[in-house]
Amino acid sequence: MSTSPTATDLSGIDSPRAVANKSRKPALAAAIRMALRIQSPAVRHNTQTFNRGRYTAIKTIPDYLELKNQARAIKDDAIARLPELIATLERSVSRNGGHFYLARDAHDASAYVTAVCKRSRVKLAVKGKSMTSEEIHLNPALEAAGIEVAETDLAEFILQYADEQPSHIIGPAIHYSRERITDLFRRVFKTGEPLDTGEELTAFARKRLREKFLSADAGITGANFVVADSGTLMLVESEANIRMTSLVPPLHIAISGIEKIVPTRESLSPFIELLAASATGQLMSSYVSIIQPPMRKAPVASDGAAPQREFHLVVVDNGRMKMREDPVLREALRCIRCSACLNSCANFQTVGGHAFGGETYSGGIGGSWEAGTKSLLNARFSELCTGCLRCVPQCPVQIDIPWLNTVLRQRINRAEASPAAQLFAPLLADVPEADAGASLQKLFFGHYDGLAEWAAKAPRLANAIANLGVNRKLMEKFVGLDHRRTLPPIASPTLVEAAAHRERQRNSRTNHGNARPGGTGSASPRAKAVLFADVFTNYGSPARGLATLRVLETLGVDVCVSEVSADGRAAYSQGLIATASKQAQHTAALLQKYLADGRDIIVVEPSVLSMFRLDYKHLLGGPEAPALLATLQDRCFDPAEYVWRLIERDRLNAAEIFPAVDYPRGARLFYHSHCQQKSIGADAPTLALLQATGFDVVSSRVECCGMAGSFGYKKDFYDLSMAVGRDLFNQVLEAESHGPRTLVASGTSCQEQLHSGLQKPVFHPMEVLAESTPRSRKFRPNLA
Amino acid sequence: MPISGLISLERLAEFEQQARAAAATVERPSRSPQAIAAAVHRVAEKTVELQIESANSQPASNKAREPRIAVAASHDMPQPFLDACRQLPGAFTDRTKAALARADVGVTEAFAGIARTGTICVCVDHEYEGYISLLSRTHVAVLAAENIVERPNDLFRRDRLEGKGLERNFVYITGPSATADMGPLVRGVHGPHWLHILLLE
Repeated sequence: MSTSPTATDLSGIDSPRAVANKSRKPALAAAIRMALRIQSPAVRHNTQTFNRGRYTAIKTIPDYLELKNQARAIKDDAIARLPELIATLERSVSRNGGHFYLARDAHDASAYVTAVCKRSRVKLAVKGKSMTSEEIHLNPALEAAGIEVAETDLAEFILQYADEQPSHIIGPAIHYSRERITDLFRRVFKTGEPLDTGEELTAFARKRLREKFLSADAGITGANFVVADSGTLMLVESEANIRMTSLVPPLHIAISGIEKIVPTRESLSPFIELLAASATGQLMSSYVSIIQPPMRKAPVASDGAAPQREFHLVVVDNGRMKMREDPVLREALRCIRCSACLNSCANFQTVGGHAFGGETYSGGIGGSWEAGTKSLLNARFSELCTGCLRCVPQCPVQIDIPWLNTVLRQRINRAEASPAAQLFAPLLADVPEADAGASLQKLFFGHYDGLAEWAAKAPRLANAIANLGVNRKLMEKFVGLDHRRTLPPIASPTLVEAAAHRERQRNSRTNHGNARPGGTGSASPRAKAVLFADVFTNYGSPARGLATLRVLETLGVDVCVSEVSADGRAAYSQGLIATASKQAQHTAALLQKYLADGRDIIVVEPSVLSMFRLDYKHLLGGPEAPALLATLQDRCFDPAEYVWRLIERDRLNAAEIFPAVDYPRGARLFYHSHCQQKSIGADAPTLALLQATGFDVVSSRVECCGMAGSFGYKKDFYDLSMAVGRDLFNQVLEAESHGPRTLVASGTSCQEQLHSGLQKPVFHPMEVLAESTPRSRKFRPNLA
Repeated sequence: MPISGLISLERLAEFEQQARAAAATVERPSRSPQAIAAAVHRVAEKTVELQIESANSQPASNKAREPRIAVAASHDMPQPFLDACRQLPGAFTDRTKAALARADVGVTEAFAGIARTGTICVCVDHEYEGYISLLSRTHVAVLAAENIVERPNDLFRRDRLEGKGLERNFVYITGPSATADMGPLVRGVHGPHWLHILLLE
């Protein structure tokens, strides 16, 4: 509803409504600034509390994964049979004595509800929290018809008086601290009543709203699930306002998106525990109502003549059927609005849904919903999804949210195809037509591989040019590269060059004419592997790769180094899916060659490893793809994960092979695992390995460092990136209050972020192990 | 009342522990109308006392008033079972919204309990059970131990509780109403501030 003001209007803006619609670019940057200035502390506290609660709660569900599989299957089946289920539901509601209405769009839905209320001469309607009612702009429609609307969820009560849109799917006012609520209430209600604690504020609202509940003519709720074959609603809450709204007034109107329909009451089974745990971290929400309105058996407790109870179910299409036809957005229809993807997202934890969100929906999943129910450009805030994948294992219905956001990015790129970008694109690389419209920024960050390859031809010159003041200014202006970031220098020699040099030296030293090219050449190696020369390690930090070679050789692994190959991560992260797909196919062919030679694949950069294990399923096609993807999942490893497997498999004594006591920087570490590394489960083995070798390790407890590949380099996101990083920096400082620790991180960009925040050197776990060699074994690289 | 099946003591203990963790209180009176009525009476007096305390910083100067008690119609349990509660001083039968909203204590049956989560299930469209469990300051729920199942989704199985969960209009209740919307966690919002479960072994 709100229009996007121009860029000049937006400096220092503090009204969330003014920047709710982010279809115009300046609104996103302005919303981030507003959120960082005003909302960040409350958002951080509340989302992180939810997030910790969820981790604790899901541990208590013994069949968590099984329930997730069931939940996903039930939703997929329901979406497939949606037209049939809608017809069944219509019959069920009529049979129960209620009225059913399928609304085409937002206007149709709000007009129907308004007409029902006018017909019943409703003067006051009480309302439970409903995102769908926000989506259809119900309150303005009712108020225009002279009907008073009382939001009864306490968060919505706050927002109604503050005139703000929700900033979170289940905690719409999590951006309000208790102090800000007190200020708001004092200003709005001009009361002398005590309002200085949570209890006092709650008591104040309860008293006001109880009068409303008892005198309301209508109650309007949403629904978490709607059951087709019986007309059952499942309503989840903790305040009892939804119970009030659905029971106390004689007229109940429920509004629900068509995607909430499931076939039977039995289909609710997996969702009860999953939703509570994923949403608020509870074993069970305070109230879960399972009702088939209008519940004619229940008397109307009114003072005098009791009319019959009346019920209307309004199910809303508003773009959902189109989403169902869309091969990618269809997946979003599974969403049960639990908000686990919001709470587990480092960017969301820092700015909340007024920046990372649109007019109604927010967070990682929000982009798909704003695009589906409004328009594509309304999803621009999904740019704040860094593709870190932390939300993927958290989603109870297994939606691949980062993939949806990558596709939205590609579509937005195309929709906004700039003439300048089209002119420059051919100069950067061979950009497939599907990606040609991307902005210069997207093309620049998406072609790190090409730029690095070019720069590596004359690294000293390239590094000098890259960090030249005037060039940094130009780059900030044209590609949005923030001038406060240091560009990672191009290494000389690269990993591939250094490995080849090493190999030549070794061959001439041992004079082994028959040593296999590239391999370590031990007679009976413990394992055979190839170190994949990813572009970040090859051009950016070959030392991590060389250390990995040393560690693997120490264990007697026959290891060689691959040629450098762009895996597609850089392009993928910018929504350049066609480019990424081309690169993925090339890289997959290369990997297949090594797999066929019996080599496991070791990948130093976690963001590349997660491409192979998770994201390639979107990029590789053809009949052989499923088998190859399965092999990649099984045989691609993080170096530490691989070493730990060998140590466990062969029952080796890690502390003897890599004794922490011999590490020159001391045995006290602070370890930060990379976000994507966590999402593929490679963080725990790394920690286990470091501990088994005798290190005293403190681990970070953040979801992501905030750099997230190229994200933190971008001018519009620099402040957000550093704000996200602050939690990590503080955890390091806290850990170091009892003495200094060596910083260890698995990702290149995490290293850069830690370094920029703390001005200390940061090492890769393999660099640590490579230097933890017993003195007696120094200069004897191969134990096997 | 007959005991329809054997219940494991572990499940009972788990239910009680989880209900307490969800900020409900649990008491195990004997299975007699008099014992239940005595428990309700104590809870009613305590509810009045707590309201006076929270309304006034000097409770000593206030004389306790008679508690207002609403007892729901019997459903699964035999009708005489809650009759002693209906005879308590302060028990009222006015069923207007205004009267029900002033109840200090509302007594209902709970037709199921859930061990894993300390939850009770209350029917909401049988007479005034829905209103009484919702509008009263304190909700006292009477639960027969043999109706405690293991998990929430057991309610959606035909072979549990005679399939009542597949047929009834009901609400899963876990602790008193609560909110975190005003900053810290606050118990007691629009629904009951106190949930007391009378668990009949």
